[in-house]
Amino acid sequence: MSETGNMMKASLLVSLLLLVASAAAQEANYLDVKTTVQKEELVTTDSGERQTRLVAADTVLPGDTVVYTITFTNVGGEAADDVVVTNPIDASLTYVDGSVFGAGMRIEFSADNGQTFAARDALTVVDNGAERTAAAADYTHIRWTMEGTLDVGSTGVARFSATVD
Amino acid sequence: MMLCASAGAWVRCGLALAALCIATPVALAAGVPAGTQIENTATVSYELSGSTVSIDTNTATLTVAERIDVVVTRQSPQVLVQPGESNRAILFRVTNNGNGAESFSLTINSNLAGNDFNPVPAAAAIVFDTDGSGDLNTGDVPYQPGVNDPVLAADASVDVFLVNDIPTGPVNGDIGRTELTATSLTGSGAPGTNLPGQGDGGSDAVIGTSGGTAAENGEYVVADVQISIVKAQQVADQFGGTEPVPGAIVTYTVTIEVTSAGIASNAFIRDPVPVYTSYNAESILLNGNPLSDAADGDDGELDTSGTTPTIVVRLGDLEIGDGPQVVEFQVTIN
Repeated sequence: MSETGNMMKASLLVSLLLLVASAAAQEANYLDVKTTVQKEELVTTDSGERQTRLVAADTVLPGDTVVYTITFTNVGGEAADDVVVTNPIDASLTYVDGSVFGAGMRIEFSADNGQTFAARDALTVVDNGAERTAAAADYTHIRWTMEGTLDVGSTGVARFSATVD
Repeated sequence: MMLCASAGAWVRCGLALAALCIATPVALAAGVPAGTQIENTATVSYELSGSTVSIDTNTATLTVAERIDVVVTRQSPQVLVQPGESNRAILFRVTNNGNGAESFSLTINSNLAGNDFNPVPAAAAIVFDTDGSGDLNTGDVPYQPGVNDPVLAADASVDVFLVNDIPTGPVNGDIGRTELTATSLTGSGAPGTNLPGQGDGGSDAVIGTSGGTAAENGEYVVADVQISIVKAQQVADQFGGTEPVPGAIVTYTVTIEVTSAGIASNAFIRDPVPVYTSYNAESILLNGNPLSDAADGDDGELDTSGTTPTIVVRLGDLEIGDGPQVVEFQVTIN
């Protein structure tokens, strides 16, 4: 009697553990996220036009412009709400003003290491005691907030450029 | 009495210019050091069944490559020389404009086109300004290719002399040039050339806009300046005569004149007050205009720092067109 009871308890515990594990696995894989980096290269076409193209960032020098692309795909079973992408800007990089991209996303910046965020023209910093609008060089983080939901199977893209100091 | 008007004055002038150069920030900052790894990880959060989930993306890593760039600047203005002089130095500065540590080879070329004469490289023709004095001194170490090639950190520089002998042929106003070239030992060539794995920290090295090599030339100008100095004295005794008796006043007149082409730069007179006389206070005149005894803003003073009081008058850069410069002062016979 007590032996059976113990077995039942053990089996229940195993089931519970399996449940928790599968939930964790499902959560971890709900969004598939990825960061890639490329380098802008200025090329002259056969017709003599100068245009930029993106190439692998194998050799990057100070002054080069690099482009970061963050993709996120809903690989789960239901729509994801309130998707927010936050990207710190490395101390060796300077954000290129106007380069941020994110369709259907509200874009904000931080100049205080991610403590507070505000839209480009609303973000201020205190410089020698005087408050001024933050400049691209002041930004420490970029944040993209999806306005709607990310449906099952959909992919979102966030992108920005920065120059290597 | 001593008149000082040497090329050394030009060297000092050159140092003042060099100091100005140092104070001005280098326009081409080296940037992020070569080998630096720039990592980027975004965080994505979302709402799932009422709870917030936050996950990090992979980390995208960049390794900053090394840009090889060098610049050579001349630190001395034109150096005034005389025919037949040996070991005349012109100071240059080699600056690593890249973003990694680099070694450079140094070469001298004194056979340049468009010269009035070719200087002749001395036995030790490339010498480091080891003591940082700006003047060529015995302690300054000669450069030996492959032995003491300068290794410069990003943005660092080293001062180097080119040392030449002046041939006997040239005449006043002739110009001879000498050129210093610094070339990266990692590589030089077309800007943009990639040298995989040869940068700091195993990063790639890329030849910068300088092509990894830079050159600058300096000028020697023959200025065989001839100077005439005449000192006269006039005695006025207290009895209305001209006897040099105790109490008589002696007026000294020193006339200096450049009598050839060239410039006697930063010329000055130092004339000690003769023994058995006492200097008459506030009696210095330069071309008839009084100069105070105090070491102040004007061009003259009574220097009392040594054992013998000495009249000092600075004449600036003198050339033939300036005409005679007349310095006067008075003493009383003891």
